[in-house]
Amino acid sequence: MVVLREGMCPGLEEGLVRDLRAADIKTVEDLVSSDMEELAQKCSVSYKALFAIRRVLLAQHTAFPVSGADLYEELLSSTAILSTGNPSLDKLLDSGLYTGEITELSGGPGSGKSQVCFGVAVHISFHLKQSVIFIDTTGGFTASRLLQMLQTETRNTEEQMEALQRIHVFRLFDVYALLDCLYSLRGGGLQQASVGGGSVKAVIVDSVSAVISPLLGGKPNEGMSLMIQVAGVLKTMAKDFNVAALVTNYLTRSGGGEVQPGLGVSWSHIPRTRLLLERVDKAAVFSPSSLRSATLIKSSRQRCHIRAEFDLKWWSRSEDTSSSRKRKLEETDS
Amino acid sequence: MTESGAQLFARLEARRCLKDIEPRLFPEDGGPNHGEVVELYGPEGTGKTELLYHLLCRCVLPVASGGLEVDVVFVDTDYSLDMLRLVSILDNRLSAARSAGSPSAAADEAVLRSCLSRLLVVHCSSSSQLLLTLHFLETTLTSRPGLALLLIDSINAFYWLDRSEGGASFARQEEKLSKCAELLGRLLRDYKITVFATCHAIRRSYSGSSSASSSSSTSSFASTSTTESDKPFLCRPWQRLVTHRLLCSKQEAPKNMAATAGGSKEQKTRQVFTVSTASSSSSSKTKTFRSSSYYVTDGGVEFIGPNTKVS
Amino acid sequence: MFGVNLASTLKMQRSVSSLNLNLSVRARLISAGIQSTRDLLHVSPKQLSSETGLSQQEALEVLQVVSTGLGGASISALELLQREEEEPKSIVTFCSQLDTALAGGLPVGKTTEVCGTPGTGKTQLCLQLAVDVQVPPCFGGVGGQVVFIDTEGTFLLQRVTDMAAAAVQHCALLVEDDEQRVAMTTFSVETILSNIFLVCCHDYLELLAELHLLPDFLSEHPRVRLLVIDSLAFPFRQHFDELSQRTRLLNGLTQQLIAMATNQNLAVVLTNHMTTRLQGSKSQLVPALGESWGHAPTIRLLLQWAGSRRLAAIFKSSGHMDSTIQYQITSEGFRDADQLEQP
Repeated sequence: MVVLREGMCPGLEEGLVRDLRAADIKTVEDLVSSDMEELAQKCSVSYKALFAIRRVLLAQHTAFPVSGADLYEELLSSTAILSTGNPSLDKLLDSGLYTGEITELSGGPGSGKSQVCFGVAVHISFHLKQSVIFIDTTGGFTASRLLQMLQTETRNTEEQMEALQRIHVFRLFDVYALLDCLYSLRGGGLQQASVGGGSVKAVIVDSVSAVISPLLGGKPNEGMSLMIQVAGVLKTMAKDFNVAALVTNYLTRSGGGEVQPGLGVSWSHIPRTRLLLERVDKAAVFSPSSLRSATLIKSSRQRCHIRAEFDLKWWSRSEDTSSSRKRKLEETDS
Repeated sequence: MTESGAQLFARLEARRCLKDIEPRLFPEDGGPNHGEVVELYGPEGTGKTELLYHLLCRCVLPVASGGLEVDVVFVDTDYSLDMLRLVSILDNRLSAARSAGSPSAAADEAVLRSCLSRLLVVHCSSSSQLLLTLHFLETTLTSRPGLALLLIDSINAFYWLDRSEGGASFARQEEKLSKCAELLGRLLRDYKITVFATCHAIRRSYSGSSSASSSSSTSSFASTSTTESDKPFLCRPWQRLVTHRLLCSKQEAPKNMAATAGGSKEQKTRQVFTVSTASSSSSSKTKTFRSSSYYVTDGGVEFIGPNTKVS
Repeated sequence: MFGVNLASTLKMQRSVSSLNLNLSVRARLISAGIQSTRDLLHVSPKQLSSETGLSQQEALEVLQVVSTGLGGASISALELLQREEEEPKSIVTFCSQLDTALAGGLPVGKTTEVCGTPGTGKTQLCLQLAVDVQVPPCFGGVGGQVVFIDTEGTFLLQRVTDMAAAAVQHCALLVEDDEQRVAMTTFSVETILSNIFLVCCHDYLELLAELHLLPDFLSEHPRVRLLVIDSLAFPFRQHFDELSQRTRLLNGLTQQLIAMATNQNLAVVLTNHMTTRLQGSKSQLVPALGESWGHAPTIRLLLQWAGSRRLAAIFKSSGHMDSTIQYQITSEGFRDADQLEQP
C-alpha cells in the first residue's frame, strides 16, 4: 500500500489529501479502486481533476507491460553464460551460470559448496576479468585459499592481486544485514562495485541457509516473509542488472531418510537451477578425498538427475604451486 | 471510460473463447469458458511451469501452426518467466508444423517474432503493485480485443509477505489479495477474458524442515486424492473465482537415480507428470474430472496417449 | 537530510518488515498503513510521529535505519588477504603435524569444531589451546587471553597447570634475544592461569544467556583471542522435546559465534559428541547435533582411535584440503606422535 501524501502528483494538495482521508481514502490503492464520480462529490473536487490524479498515480505505481518480442531481443543481447571453470560442472549447467538467474548449490557439511563458490569467483575475476560480489554469511571466506587457486592460474603476482581486487566481499551474519546489503546493491551498489574493473557479473551468497534457517519455525509468517524477500531482491537484482546469482543451501533429511535441499518447499521454487553436491565416498572420513559428485536436481534446460564427478583440487591443480604456498606460510610463521 | 453499448458488445464478441485450449487436459466439453479461472496447483518440480508454457504457446502460435493466435498478458510475480525456454518450445512447435507441410523455413524467424509480440509481460514485486497493475491493465484490455488470456505466475507469490505485513489481523493479511481477486472478478465479467494462475503448494504449519530429523509431507502425492497440502490456502474471494483446478504431481522418481552408475540408464527413463483436473464450469453444474499424463521433452509438454487414465 | 540515499532505495519498494526495527515500532508503522520504505520518502520525523503515534525520537530512528542502515562497505578479497597475512593468523598448537595440516595452526577468526568419542582427547586439546593462545608473539604466538566455557565440569585445573608449566619450559629453552627474555618474565604458570576466564554453564539456557552477554565482555577484554565451548553438545543433547526447536536455536547460536569470531578476531573452538546414525541396516558413527549443525563450523576436526594410534582428521575446511594426522597425549599435553610409533 502506498500512503497518499500531498505533492505526490500535480493537483494532489494538502486540502485534498485531508478530504480524501476524511472519506477513508488513505492510500493510492484506495483511490484507484474507488468510484471516481462518488468520490469527486464527497471531496468537492471536479471529476476531471480527480480522474487525472488517478491516472497519474496509476502510471506512477503500476508495472508496465513489455512486449515478449522486445523482452526476447533484450535477453539475447544481454544474457551471458559464465563458465564455472570446471568442465564437469559446466556440462551439468549447460555451459555455466546464466546471468539473470539464481543457481543453487546444496550439499551437506564438507561437500564442497564453498570451494565451488571460491573457484567460480576466481574464474570469473581472473579469466573473464569481471567483478564478483561474494557475500559470506558463514565466516568461511578465506582469501588465502583464493590466492592458492589463483597461483595455479598465473605466477604473475600483479595479475593475482588484480583478480583478488575484483572480488568484493561482504561478511554479514544475520538476515537483516543480508537484506540491507542486497537492497543497497540493487540501489546502485552494483554499479559502484564495477568501478575500476569489469562490471559485476556474479553475486555469490554462501550460504543463504545460514541466515535464514534460524528464522524458520519460530514465528512462521516473519521468517517466511524475510526468506521470500531475500529471494525477491536476489531475483530482481539478477534480472535487472543481468548478473548470475549463485547461492548455497544446506541439506535436510526428510522423514523417509532421503536428503533434500533445505529451507522447505517455498524456497524450492526460487532457484532456476539446483545442483546437489556430495562426497563420492561418504563413509570414509579417514580416507580424505577431494572427489565430489554433483547431481542436477532442477533445471529448465537439461534433463534432471544427470550426475558428474569432479575434483575439488581442479581449481588448484598443479602441485608445485601449492608447495610454494606452504613455504610462504612457514616464512611468515617464524 | 464511457462507451456505447454497441461498442461494448462488439468488443466482447470479438474476444476468443479458450474452451478448446487443450482438450487433453480438461473434461470433455469442460474447457475454460469466457470469464473463467484456471488454477494450476502443485509443489516445485511437478511440471506446472512447463504446462503453463504449453498453454501459452498454444495461445500465441498462429492458427496455421495449430495455435489460437490470441494475445496474452503474462503477469510475472515470481520473476520466473524463462524466455529462452519459452522460445525453444515455440521454435519446436513451429518447425513441427512446418514439416507437416506448411510454409518455408525462412519465414520462421518472422513468425516467431509475431508470436512473441502477442505476448505482453509485466513484472510485479508486491501485492499492492499487482493490484495497481491489474487496474492499469484495464486500459490494455480495452485497447486490445485480441487479448484473451491473463496468466499469473504465481498467484501466491506475496502470500508470506502479506501475512507478515498484515500484522495480527487475519483480515488484514488477506486484504490485498482479496482486493486483487475482486478486481479480477470484475475484469473477467466485463472483458470476458480467461485467467490461468499457478499456485505453489506451501506447508502451512511450518515445523522447521531445517531440522535433521524433521518429517516432510512433500514430494509424495497420491495423484488424485486430495491430501492435506493440496488444500487451497489462499483467501476465499480467490477460491470463489477458481472454476478449474489442475492438480500437478509427478510420479515417483525413476528408482534411485543417483545411487548407481549414472548416465545412459537414466536417459531412457523419463519423468512422467500427472495432472488431474477438477472443473466446475458455469455451463454444467456438477463437477467433472479428468486426469492426464505427460512428459516434458526439449520441445515442451507431450501428452501420453489421448485418453490415458492414471489411477 | 536523507534525500539521496532514500531516492535510490525507494525505487524498489522495500517492505518495512525487512528493516531491522523493534517489533512494536514496526507494528506501529504497519498499522498506520506504512508498509514500504517508499512511504517514508520526504517525511519528517515530526510528521511520521504524528501519523504513527511513535515518539519523535523513535520516528527519527526509523528514518535513520532507512537511510543509513543500508549495508556496510564491501572489502576486496585482496584487502582480506593482506589482513589475513598481517594479523596474528593462527594459534600454534605444539603439535607440528596439526599445525601443518591447518596451514600454521588453529585459525583466528574462524570457528572450529572438535568431535570425537569420549576419551579421544577433545578436552585435552581445548585445554592445550587455552595455553597455546597465550604464547607471546616473539615466540610466534598470539599472546592472547581465553574465555573457556565449561558445560560438563571437565575443566581440570591441575591438567592446565601441567600444560602451562610445559609450555613455559618449552619457551624458556628457546630464548635467544632480549625481547624474548623480557617476554619470559611475564609468561609464567600464574599469568597463564590468570588469563583464562572460566565460565561454567549447566544447561543450554545458561549457555545462550552467556553468549548473549559475551560481545560486551569481549569488547572490554580486547586481548581475548580464543573462545572455547567444551562441550557444545552436552547442553543441547537433552531437554528438547522438539528437535526443530533445537535446530533453530543452534542455527541462531552459530551465526552469533561466527559474528563474534569475525568481528572480534577470535578463534572459536567447540567440542561435539559422536552419535550413532542408523541408515537402513547400517549404523554409522557421526557427529551429534544433527545434519544442519555440520555447516556451522568452518573447520571440523575428528579425533579417533585407530588401534593404538590416535588420529585427527580434518574433514571439512574452507581453507585447506582434507587430511589426517597422528598425535599423542602426554603429561605435557597434546603433542606430535613419537616418530617410532608411526607406521
